[in-house]
Amino acid sequence: MRRLRILLLAMALGAAMPVLPALAHHGWAWTEEELFELTGTVKSVFVGNPHATLDLEVEGVVWRVELAPPGPTVASGFTEETVKPGDEVVALGNRSLDPNEKRMKAVRVTVGGKAYDIYPTRVPAN
Amino acid sequence: METLLGSIEQLALIKALKTSFFAYPVVNALHILAVGGLVTSVILMDLRVIGVIRSIDEQSLMRLLRRVALGGFGLAVLTGALMFAVRATDYAGMPLFWIKLGLIGVAGLNFLAFSLLRAEGMRRILAGVSIVLWPTVLLVGRFLGFVL
Repeated sequence: MRRLRILLLAMALGAAMPVLPALAHHGWAWTEEELFELTGTVKSVFVGNPHATLDLEVEGVVWRVELAPPGPTVASGFTEETVKPGDEVVALGNRSLDPNEKRMKAVRVTVGGKAYDIYPTRVPAN
Repeated sequence: METLLGSIEQLALIKALKTSFFAYPVVNALHILAVGGLVTSVILMDLRVIGVIRSIDEQSLMRLLRRVALGGFGLAVLTGALMFAVRATDYAGMPLFWIKLGLIGVAGLNFLAFSLLRAEGMRRILAGVSIVLWPTVLLVGRFLGFVL
């Protein structure tokens, strides 16, 4: 009985430690410190819960650009109608610490010369 | 499939939930509440069957906690379906999402087997499987929110 209990505990611990993909998107701990600029064409856009995302194609590679939750994203002026597939967008923000991960979190998105400050306090003063 | 998922995303209720400031966090919180109730009652029932908890007789404990677990499961399915619907196409394209559903399916079969089998040794083994499976479902579900 005791041995069975120990075995079950060991199984539970084993199951609790699966190898999972890199964590993303909550906070900035997963991103590089310095800012990064990405220019690409829009593949798709989602402005909604739990947070908005923009997929940009850059030289044949699709990048996932994370924005803010829908509230702050829309407050910046950026909605799903702001861009459509094929539009050129410049995303300024912080990219993933993992260089193989094509993912960044944007603080500012520029579309046709108009800037949308998704995280205004993180945009460096011009 | 793509069009079905796409049309789910276009439902008026789902579109409202997608951009809502209050409703989505409330649905999310209810999902956590439901999963919490479900996993806690499952663990307590499993520990009783395995024999770790002996202070309460099995029948009374099971009668109460099975209701909590089933209620929690129902609420979790409802709230989970709502959150899935907001980004149906994206979630459906994530292997982790299907791993989670698969694990729930296995846990369901395990529950079915438990309900049918009477041998004490077998019941203990199935309870042991359950006590590992359900927290794993919770863990995989939590990770889902971080990889989209």
